[in-house]
Amino acid sequence: MGEVILTMKGIDKSFPGVHALDHVDLELRKGEVHALMGENGAGKSTLMKVLTGIYTKDSGTITYEGKEVEFHNTHEAQEAGIVIVHQELNMVGDLTVAQNIFIGREFKKGIMIDDRKMIAESKKLFDDLHIDIDPRAKMSDLTVGKQQMCEIAKAISHKAKIIIFDEPSAALTEKEIEDLFRIIRDLRSQNLGIIYISHRMDEIKVITDRVTVMRDGGYVGTLITNDCTKEDIINMMVGRVIYEEPKTHSMVPEGAPVVLKVEHLNAGKMVQDVSFELHKGEILGFSGLMGAGRTETARALFGADPKQSGDIYINGEKVTINTPEDAVKHGIGYLSEDRKRFGIVVQKTIAENSTMATLEKYMSGLFINKGAEKKVAEQYVQELATKTPSVDELVVNLSGGNQQKVVIAKWLVRNCDILIFDEPTRGIDVGAKNEIYKLMNRLAAEGKSIIMISSEMTEILRMSDRVLVMCEGKKTGEIAIEEATQEAIMDKATRDIK
Amino acid sequence: MEKIKQNPIVKKLGFNRIILFCILILMYLAFSLAIPGFAGMARIMSILNYVYFLGFLALGVTFVIATGGIDFSIGPVMFCCALMSGYTLNTYGAPVAVSLLLSIVIGFCFGMFNGYLVAYIGVPPFIVSMATMNIAKGLGSVFTKTQSVSWPQANDPTGKGWFRSLVKVEGVPTGLIIFAVAVVILYIVMNNTKAGRYILCLGSNKEAVRLSGVNVRKWQMLAYVICGLMAGIAAIFFVSAYTTVQPGLGDTYNNEAIASCVMGGTSMAGGLASIGGTVIGVFVISLLQEGIMALRMTKEVQMIITGLIVIVFVYADVSARRRKN
Repeated sequence: MGEVILTMKGIDKSFPGVHALDHVDLELRKGEVHALMGENGAGKSTLMKVLTGIYTKDSGTITYEGKEVEFHNTHEAQEAGIVIVHQELNMVGDLTVAQNIFIGREFKKGIMIDDRKMIAESKKLFDDLHIDIDPRAKMSDLTVGKQQMCEIAKAISHKAKIIIFDEPSAALTEKEIEDLFRIIRDLRSQNLGIIYISHRMDEIKVITDRVTVMRDGGYVGTLITNDCTKEDIINMMVGRVIYEEPKTHSMVPEGAPVVLKVEHLNAGKMVQDVSFELHKGEILGFSGLMGAGRTETARALFGADPKQSGDIYINGEKVTINTPEDAVKHGIGYLSEDRKRFGIVVQKTIAENSTMATLEKYMSGLFINKGAEKKVAEQYVQELATKTPSVDELVVNLSGGNQQKVVIAKWLVRNCDILIFDEPTRGIDVGAKNEIYKLMNRLAAEGKSIIMISSEMTEILRMSDRVLVMCEGKKTGEIAIEEATQEAIMDKATRDIK
Repeated sequence: MEKIKQNPIVKKLGFNRIILFCILILMYLAFSLAIPGFAGMARIMSILNYVYFLGFLALGVTFVIATGGIDFSIGPVMFCCALMSGYTLNTYGAPVAVSLLLSIVIGFCFGMFNGYLVAYIGVPPFIVSMATMNIAKGLGSVFTKTQSVSWPQANDPTGKGWFRSLVKVEGVPTGLIIFAVAVVILYIVMNNTKAGRYILCLGSNKEAVRLSGVNVRKWQMLAYVICGLMAGIAAIFFVSAYTTVQPGLGDTYNNEAIASCVMGGTSMAGGLASIGGTVIGVFVISLLQEGIMALRMTKEVQMIITGLIVIVFVYADVSARRRKN
């Protein structure tokens, strides 16, 4: 590790109703890979957004290369040599790799764009990184992993001195992660400062030199990675002991009837010939890497997206599901991974959202029975312990965990027998997470059947009675919970990826 | 200020609507002081003539804007209804009641057409309503062979002028009563029925409503149908007040109706709508029109003012949303 390149001291940032960053410190040295860790909502991304000028800090200082700085937008930060490789890739799918790398600063020959030079320069970048990508390929034709390599190449082409990786491995295969680590080590030896945000404990141990832990917007501490254990870091992250014991055996009674049978479901590239069965009272975990086609399968099953072929049987009877309306009529509820876009109407109240799927039951003649609606909403606010002053509160004013509870309430009001939970705990703090787990277990015990799509291995192992694994649009395996291990699942989840 | 906004009565009525109502009163006082003889019942009755048809147009388009859509065809559709039904009355000798009904049916058909294209085919509302605007203008002209149509006067010897009592009977503003009933009905539709609930929700987040198993297309289309129906009714009140309709016109009323909505607190982004606000907005626009005429300024000046009003209120709405986020 070399000299200090970046010091953030006492960074404070509030949003209306949320103290997002509470006097956070961070120090980065040249030639260091520095992990930034914390649960979802701990404030890691906010801190990085303050650093790169997306947010303005309320107080605190940022010292970069010995001078106090304040960037007003990402462009200024980039010019100074601080670049983020985002979790969501910021690439234009229809342009080529080279065009994407040099977007906004294209080489010119007169007034024409000099494509040939851009291709040559991209080739050079890739050669330096020992990556094999054709600069002329269309971005949308590359795998997620390759696209990320392009992001890294783009960052380096900015003459970056600090590169921030925001959960880079989330969507990558093992082989791709190895490549990524090789590149990161390369960059470290070239004396760059690297900030590495990840949830994966194993990676932190492998790749990073120091680790700074944040919790609930506050700074907890900085450790030297080699001197601490996984448990040390976890304890700092959660501030209490967590119980993430995997399930040891299926809770589904022997001979429970099949409530949902899906046969040869096909919907575009992402859902190819998927078949499975779901039993009464079962939690069926859908595991796989990002882009494996799990959400697409759920959406096709629910009628949200069109499907090419496939038969669906509910309680042994063949049903036609072409729209979400059909699915809901047959007792299926879908909780989307993207609550704000697909789950709730944020500008409406909790009461209005709660009865969204069941309004016909809360009508007296032509008119909505607002009293009854309020009553049922209040009942579920109590049952799910949703934190809100009243059911007349707009959903936009609730936290992520409580918004999720409103979505759950919507389907519980409907009394659906089959529930699809797509990433039910994404963006939710630890406490609310446990409540949602408890609720899912209770629902299963009451005889509801649940499909749970999750990218968190611990969640899959903790909740599922059976695990279905997908890879690149195909079902690659089904594992009973008794035999499910991280390794067994990963093996199937990467089966088709070379 | 914050305290006033949190007051339950103010919250119920809506802070912005109270402000707008105060503006309306101030405007009336200002015109009364500036123009001799402006105050008084005669002038108010004259303002009301303008309120009815514009009111129906604005109430209808409130539903469309609530879905996040827009309808630029309402003014020309209203004219098309008035022309075609008036022509049937004059040229084919249809009974007055049939002509009035025909007007409503034509408006309804235009609403179906717009709604189907937007909700089921997926054509952007802006494009659909622009096209419909031209269709309505053209249809009205073709049907009447580009002649203006005059509806019978109240004292018409054939007795065909009875429909004018819809607006006024010996000094009693019957139109105001009909309009008030319509406002109450539409308020209930917007706030207490399934249709209103889903229209507002889909205006805010259509995909979330669709994924709740709701047939969003049906409800989205319904908003346009209500709007068309209102344009048909507006036509009746237009001819009751103004007598002569000319083909190829009507666009200015789009802007006035839309301005009334946005002034009243209906958001152009969809999801938020206020029937009461629209009504106050209509009164403001009508008063403005009357005041400008009394000041001997032209219709064009009024167009400039309504244009500016739309921009100011949409800006206020957008910046209020930005502050919230």
